[in-house]
Amino acid sequence: MIVGGCDLGSTTGKAAIMIDDKIYCGDIIPATTKPALTATMAMDSALKKAGLKSIDEIEYIIGTGYGRQKVPFASEDISEISCHGKGAYWALQSVRTIIDIGGQDCKAIAISDKGVVTQFEMNERCAAGTGRFFQVMAKVLTCGLEGIGSVSNISDNPVSISNQCSVFAESEVITLINDEKSIPDIITGINQSVAKRVVSLVRRVGIHDDVTLTGGCSKNLGLKKALENLLGTTIKPLPVDPQSIGAIGAAVFAKEKLLAKRAKELEVSSKE
Amino acid sequence: MESIKSSDVFKKFSGIATSLKNSEIENWKKQGGKVIGYFCPVIPEEVFIAGGILPFRMRGTGSTTTDSADVYLKPVNCGFPRHTFNQALIGEYDFLDGLVVNTCCDTIMRLAVDWEHAGIKTPFIYSLDNAHAGGEAMVGHFRNQLQKMKDAVEKYFNVEITEQKLQDAIKLCNETKLLQQKLYELRKLPNPPITGSETVAVMVAGSSMPKEQYNKDLKTLLDELGNVNTDKKYSARLMIIGCGHDDTLLCDIIEELGAVVVTDQTCFGSRVMIKTISEEGDDPLMSIAGYLVLDVPYCPKTIGTHPERKQFTMGLAKDYKVDGAVGQCFISCDPWAAELYLLKSEFQEAGIPFIWFEREYIPDLIGQLKTRVEAFIETINN
Ligand code: SF4
Ligand code: SF4
Repeated sequence: MIVGGCDLGSTTGKAAIMIDDKIYCGDIIPATTKPALTATMAMDSALKKAGLKSIDEIEYIIGTGYGRQKVPFASEDISEISCHGKGAYWALQSVRTIIDIGGQDCKAIAISDKGVVTQFEMNERCAAGTGRFFQVMAKVLTCGLEGIGSVSNISDNPVSISNQCSVFAESEVITLINDEKSIPDIITGINQSVAKRVVSLVRRVGIHDDVTLTGGCSKNLGLKKALENLLGTTIKPLPVDPQSIGAIGAAVFAKEKLLAKRAKELEVSSKE
Repeated sequence: MESIKSSDVFKKFSGIATSLKNSEIENWKKQGGKVIGYFCPVIPEEVFIAGGILPFRMRGTGSTTTDSADVYLKPVNCGFPRHTFNQALIGEYDFLDGLVVNTCCDTIMRLAVDWEHAGIKTPFIYSLDNAHAGGEAMVGHFRNQLQKMKDAVEKYFNVEITEQKLQDAIKLCNETKLLQQKLYELRKLPNPPITGSETVAVMVAGSSMPKEQYNKDLKTLLDELGNVNTDKKYSARLMIIGCGHDDTLLCDIIEELGAVVVTDQTCFGSRVMIKTISEEGDDPLMSIAGYLVLDVPYCPKTIGTHPERKQFTMGLAKDYKVDGAVGQCFISCDPWAAELYLLKSEFQEAGIPFIWFEREYIPDLIGQLKTRVEAFIETINN
């Protein structure tokens, strides 16, 4: 059985293909101005990784993410919240709390021991606590996103960033640079400020072990460390790319849907 | 009939609900009639109707910006009064002869001052002090406040509001409430003939046109609803909870996803029609005060009344067999944010899925709202 999932996020496109129970994730594709094109590029990359020649070989595809309705080859779409729950559970069955920090939003998702989403919270409207916040900061610090996420930048003497609004925080950081504060101190301060914001969201759904981190920002090790300190627990790594979890969850859903469809068809034909 | 959307009466209601000016008001004004805008269902329209004046429930429908209002109000004030005030500043409320505000939240309370300060030419402006707490003891106080408002209306508009006229107005508005109750009853059916979006249009129109005509039209609509095809299956029955819910945005999102809104606890919905005012007794103002203080579910800003409101809301959830509840409040609205925060855990304790979020009055991030609602419905169906 070959199924697929495509997660069209606000800043990147991801696709995953499942052949029997094995997952093949494509490269993370930066979003283009045409959602359908981003989806196709992401799926082409996954096809290559899975060693498939054409998308026609995939029997069922689910679209997810901010642009889920724009995935041209999807049979149906499911919200990214459900897909992140499904994908994380598929990757690690002990997961109960998922923190997904994407380019434009941040979500805390609680799942049951059966992998079903029971509760979720999402950041309200602004960029605080999302990838966008890091992008703005990386630009001011001219260090790139990798710089902000790097472990070598973790300091014992972080500055405190009080503004949650990315625009105001940007001027706060400029002031800190002019005050000649060290870059690791500033970066650690930025990660802690985002972590605080994210943790208050997680508290609303409850912190239940195991906790895992998904989405683009899961690759930021400084943020991960700051989150662990505030949550008082370790964040469990996933055995697959955490940025592709939405696409993986969509593929798992596609498999379930296809199985249900086949069972129904079988029922109808046996009645006939 | 496939859906009530094709009915002419429904189209009329929908047109009235999605604009501020309408032909009913135009005709009323042409015949020399006066119109008073009022901000909240705790301000009794019966008093204005008894004075021969048309009450119009204030809203910011059609607004696209708060540029003009922001000169006077701050972002800390929620979008509902800001957009409504903006509409007045650009002349959309020129048809008003009077405005009544109440001790709702601070913004609404202060709006009377801003209205005058900004030079909006609404000749009569009045602030009604409504009950801040619940219970019998407040009824007499509120009755006296209503007396003062009645006296002010009589004096300014040079009309006499007799007890008989008040009784007649109570009867007329009770008829509206009873018809609206019938409409809500239909929503208890397994496949309701009217959606949540459609209901919002019907309810909003009810406070935007003369009652006699509205009642006539609503009777026709109820007859027509008997012919609506009810084969449609919905993926979930939801209720909505929140403040001045005068647009169909949330219902549209929910219903486009295949679920249906079957009831609500909102100030344009169930809170205006759940009970009727007593037609007995010789003091109609006392009857109105008794109804607004004791019968209508307390407004979230009334001190210490959450337990009663919880009971009312849970009762609706049970009666309408809802699978989940969606709360919405406008950004910066503390009364409703606090209310929804409490209701969330209470619904969850009762095993009813609950979600709530803040939104702008004229919304910007619709994509994010859709994602949340979609995930919520998926959670219910799991
Ligand atoms: S919440 Fe509703 S009842 Fe309470 S003051 Fe506001 S509009 Fe009136
Ligand atoms: S929505 Fe809330 S803040 Fe806004 S006017 Fe109503 S009660 Fe006041």
